[in-house]
Amino acid sequence: MKILIVDDAMAARMMLKNCIPAEDNHEIEEASDGSQGLEKFKSFKPDLTFLDLTMPVMDGFETLEKIKQLDPAAIVVVLTADIQKKSIEKVEALGAYTVLKKLPTAEVIQKTINEVREKTGK
Amino acid sequence: MNNEDTAGILSELELEILQEIMNIGFGRAAADLAEVIDIFISLSAPKITVIEAVNLIRYVNTEISELQTCSIVEQPYLGEAKGVAFLIFPHGAEKEFLSYFQDKDIDSLESDILIDLEKEVLMEVGNILIGACIGKIFELLDGLITFQPPRVIIGEKFTDHYIKGSFSEDDSVITMKTSFSFEDRDVHGYLFLVNRGESGVTLKKALNEFWEKQNAT
Repeated sequence: MKILIVDDAMAARMMLKNCIPAEDNHEIEEASDGSQGLEKFKSFKPDLTFLDLTMPVMDGFETLEKIKQLDPAAIVVVLTADIQKKSIEKVEALGAYTVLKKLPTAEVIQKTINEVREKTGK
Repeated sequence: MNNEDTAGILSELELEILQEIMNIGFGRAAADLAEVIDIFISLSAPKITVIEAVNLIRYVNTEISELQTCSIVEQPYLGEAKGVAFLIFPHGAEKEFLSYFQDKDIDSLESDILIDLEKEVLMEVGNILIGACIGKIFELLDGLITFQPPRVIIGEKFTDHYIKGSFSEDDSVITMKTSFSFEDRDVHGYLFLVNRGESGVTLKKALNEFWEKQNAT
């Protein structure tokens, strides 16, 4: 499966990658802001995107909106420290597949990946 | 990332980890406040800077315009790390905060009572944001800290009151800064955590232990 990680924090990207089982051989790409994330989304065409909200250049809200405009069926999991109720409602309205709070556990990430695999058949 | 350590206390990775931890801490803080006063708070990516104490005022003045007139909620914390949290708002923010708690009796209050009330509200907002943020940071780092009561100071007293009295020329400080704004009001602010350089050793150890734990999953 192709997985795109969009987060401005290198530490966050590393921690998330560490939660993804290496033996599953997923193809993983990264982006460090929303604008880069959007470009990578277009070129890499991921099956699953993990997206942070609080990012410079283009935040996660705008990135999610633009991704969904490009591909309404895109599966985007928002992984964020911004756990305000209104933020969660906003991204759900924008079409996020689900919202996970930082720090996620490996179990939660693996469960999410498995759900997406079942959904997409990848 | 734009984190920086000119004093050589934290490595690049440690700075990155601390930045993400601050991100999580302030995310929690914003959620707590948003629940109390039913607003949406727009957040930004935090910035970690380690500098010599002698450069702190110049640094803060660069990061925050019109510091002299700002209202600042100051709250020291002690324990495995020692520092002071400063929640900085432009002048006038306290009136905006009070409007969130508006009731029919407020307009009839005398001005000196109103000023006290504005200060109280500012302190309470500070207490919520600072407490939740620092609490979460040190929870993630398995550290125990305690807080001293918050108080409100004006920006021009920041230099005299805190900086001149608290640091020697040899000290380094670790600053963690995040900015935020309230969606339906013209209110924005900054949270600065200033840790004495001696906390750097404790922080380094805690950050590395945190990292090892995360990578052990």
